[in-house]
Amino acid sequence: MSDNEALEDAPLDPAGMLALVEAQQRTVDRTMLAPVPWLYGIWGTAWLVGFLLLWSAWDGGNPWFRVPGVAAGIAFAALIALSIVASAVLGSRINRGVRGGSDFPGLVYGVSWSVCSVAFFGVGAGLAVNGADPALLSVYFPSAYGLMAGTLYLAGAALFSSRSQLVIGIIVLGVSAGAPFAGQPGNNLVMAVAGGGTFLVAAVVAAIRLRSTR
Amino acid sequence: MTDGLDPVIHAAARLRITATLATIPVGDRISFPRLQELLEMTAGNLSTHLRKLEDAEYVGVTKTHHGRTPITYLELSTAGRRAFEDYTDTLRSLLGGTS
Repeated sequence: MSDNEALEDAPLDPAGMLALVEAQQRTVDRTMLAPVPWLYGIWGTAWLVGFLLLWSAWDGGNPWFRVPGVAAGIAFAALIALSIVASAVLGSRINRGVRGGSDFPGLVYGVSWSVCSVAFFGVGAGLAVNGADPALLSVYFPSAYGLMAGTLYLAGAALFSSRSQLVIGIIVLGVSAGAPFAGQPGNNLVMAVAGGGTFLVAAVVAAIRLRSTR
Repeated sequence: MTDGLDPVIHAAARLRITATLATIPVGDRISFPRLQELLEMTAGNLSTHLRKLEDAEYVGVTKTHHGRTPITYLELSTAGRRAFEDYTDTLRSLLGGTS
């Protein structure tokens, strides 16, 4: 054993040993949770930019410039798809190297996002088939998507005992349920600023908390 | 003098290992490389201390393969988790008694 290892092995006084436990567990938390501000930041940016583009695609929307509807729709879908890929990559880093009882709940939670997205999209497509007006659909889709995200954040809060996910889930549900009352296309602006803003604030709060554990 | 503190984990390196394993939920295991990364210890040093914890039956070891690569997973046993909790409780009562 080297001198360094012998030193590492030596016990400290009780306060020192307790401090060692706490410092090590903080290091674990900080390392495991390091991707969280990035996750919130990516979603916040996708919502802010995506919904602002949708808002800019309609008469009575963005007063400064217009974006063609098809381009806004494609850009929104691309931003969400990119965020899903980024979340999958970053999310898998959080629990990297850990296997066992949490595998199944984690897998179900991860798959829920894509399954629920398809289901909510299906209802929207069904409304379109039944003659729903495009303006009405542009009220449905943002809120349906937001309700799905908010509900899954509540599921995440329960699954991972995460208070921050609980707060985000409740705010996103409130924003999504309230956005239609802003009228179309203002509902998209509400989703962009209040919804995207919530994620961006959460990103900053998560980053500050991580830093404060150093 | 160890004041009734468990000598298996009353050593800085093994206490850090035990504290890290205690953060992994019951029923989950952590791979050796990830544990090494969280502890910033050399593989040899970590192995040495893990063997002592394994000998005391505080740590369970599962050897498996990911493709052709062998991977070792580690977890705190029920006895290990209890020993860690008893150890930190004892520390706190020692500190409470002296303050």
